[in-house]
Amino acid sequence: MNNDRFIVIDRVSKEFGAHGKSAAVRVIDDVSMKIGRGEFIVFLGPSGCGKTTLMRIVGGLEAASCGQVRLDGATVTGPDRKKGMVFQSYSSFPWLDVIGNIRFGMRFRDDISAAEKERLAQYYLELVGLRGFEGYRVNRISGGMRQRLAIARTLAAGPDVLLMDEPFGALDAQNREFLQEQLVGIQKSEQKTVIFVTHDVEEAIFLADRIMLFSARPARVLQEIRVGDHIGTQRPLAVKSTQAFFALRNSILDVTRRLALQTEKIMLQGGMFPA
Amino acid sequence: MTEQRDPHGREGSGPDGQASDAAAPVPETTVWQQLTSFRGNSSRGTDIALGAVGFALLLAIWSGLVVFEVVPKQYLASPQAVVVRLWELLTKYDFLDDIWISIYRVWFAFFLSAIVAIPLGILMSSFRIVNGLTEPIIDFIRYLPVPALVPLTVIWLGIGEASKIALLWMGTFFQLVLLIADDARRVPREYVEVGMTVGAKPSQVLRHIILPAMLPSMVDNLRITLGWCWTYLIIAEIVASDSGIGYVIWSARRYVKTPEVMAGILAIGIIGFLTDQFIRWLHRRAFAYLR
Repeated sequence: MNNDRFIVIDRVSKEFGAHGKSAAVRVIDDVSMKIGRGEFIVFLGPSGCGKTTLMRIVGGLEAASCGQVRLDGATVTGPDRKKGMVFQSYSSFPWLDVIGNIRFGMRFRDDISAAEKERLAQYYLELVGLRGFEGYRVNRISGGMRQRLAIARTLAAGPDVLLMDEPFGALDAQNREFLQEQLVGIQKSEQKTVIFVTHDVEEAIFLADRIMLFSARPARVLQEIRVGDHIGTQRPLAVKSTQAFFALRNSILDVTRRLALQTEKIMLQGGMFPA
Repeated sequence: MTEQRDPHGREGSGPDGQASDAAAPVPETTVWQQLTSFRGNSSRGTDIALGAVGFALLLAIWSGLVVFEVVPKQYLASPQAVVVRLWELLTKYDFLDDIWISIYRVWFAFFLSAIVAIPLGILMSSFRIVNGLTEPIIDFIRYLPVPALVPLTVIWLGIGEASKIALLWMGTFFQLVLLIADDARRVPREYVEVGMTVGAKPSQVLRHIILPAMLPSMVDNLRITLGWCWTYLIIAEIVASDSGIGYVIWSARRYVKTPEVMAGILAIGIIGFLTDQFIRWLHRRAFAYLR
């Protein structure tokens, strides 16, 4: 299989159905892109623009109205463990402890033995830095730890692609930065393909190999930014204070500011609200 | 009765962090201020104490009404008379047998209700076709007053155990199934999607995610429905029965034996209260992770 076309989004559109008098709302408008194996892609765009919906279509959690998504050559028809998902909200199960939640990611795998599952559970526990907390109840650990736990559980399922929906959105600035740095490390060591949705420009630049900048609703790809060409492929935290980082950030912010105004106008005119 | 959900009090001391500055004196509050503060903290000890005070007040008012003969004696027996009568019933008149038969009826009917309502409710929340077919019917039956069904159950099932169980079942099942369906629907969508994206099939999502996620609120709803069972039990036992607490109460009424009527009511109250507290205790033990 061609590694540059690991995920193919092929002319995908999405409309949310007409309810009674209200007409159908188009949230994604004819979006196409190719994503390479191991690539870190960030969907950046204004809130409610449809970028999360597009990611959910890739994950098989939502069906496209038009077009299709192919993962490793196969058309996506529904969710499975090949498309792992990390949600914005805390999605770990409160009735399980930390290690129990990681094990849950492997519960329905029959491709590996029980012993291998246990080894992997310990490995991912270590990888996300939760060693020592394995017996803790989920609501006794911090928000940042819960998101690391969600990442560990998702990785444990052995996905081909990691879909992350503003996973650090609810965290404070320090935690956010810490988790971004950890995520970069994890992605490098695990060689995972990642699609990461955010509206935070700095987060996008710091994490991405490539940023897909989306328009206000309906979502179209406005711009594709190869971040490596601007700030290089190495991402120590210090890269955030380089001249190149600022320059890129400002040029993207320029575009997003105009977008934000545009979105507001659409919302006021059409009475549309984020799905 | 004390309505407390959080026996250990709220966590922490709030955003203003009373303990942040050791030097600043904490303004003194009286016990009265603490008890009456709007949505203030509660503790297990004060809750129990308040509950006891509530009961004591009720007893005091009751005694007062009897002692000062505000209400004639044959209509309202004194608390002592009721307790004495209850003791006599238990020791001399095999009242315990009636209590057991009533408890058996309630639990058996409740059990039959629950084992049908739990799976059906979960299926209603999961599959549109099940919900579409059953919800309108359930909603309709739910509004039928149970006493109105008594003649039918007697015609169909006679006056044996079956008609009583059937009546209790009808009184609780149709309420319970909708509550269970709601519990299942309230499981966060993310939980279900986590399941699907780690490769769980729908049946596995139901068993390993929806069921454990809805369990705490389901147990709460079962507890509340069990209470309704007692209401319908008395109706069933009054209409056609020769045993049970309801029968004892109704027979005593015929001879205006007020202490005996009230003793029967007291017995139901005690059983209900103890059952309720026991299930709450189980809930706290089993779902400690919620706190």
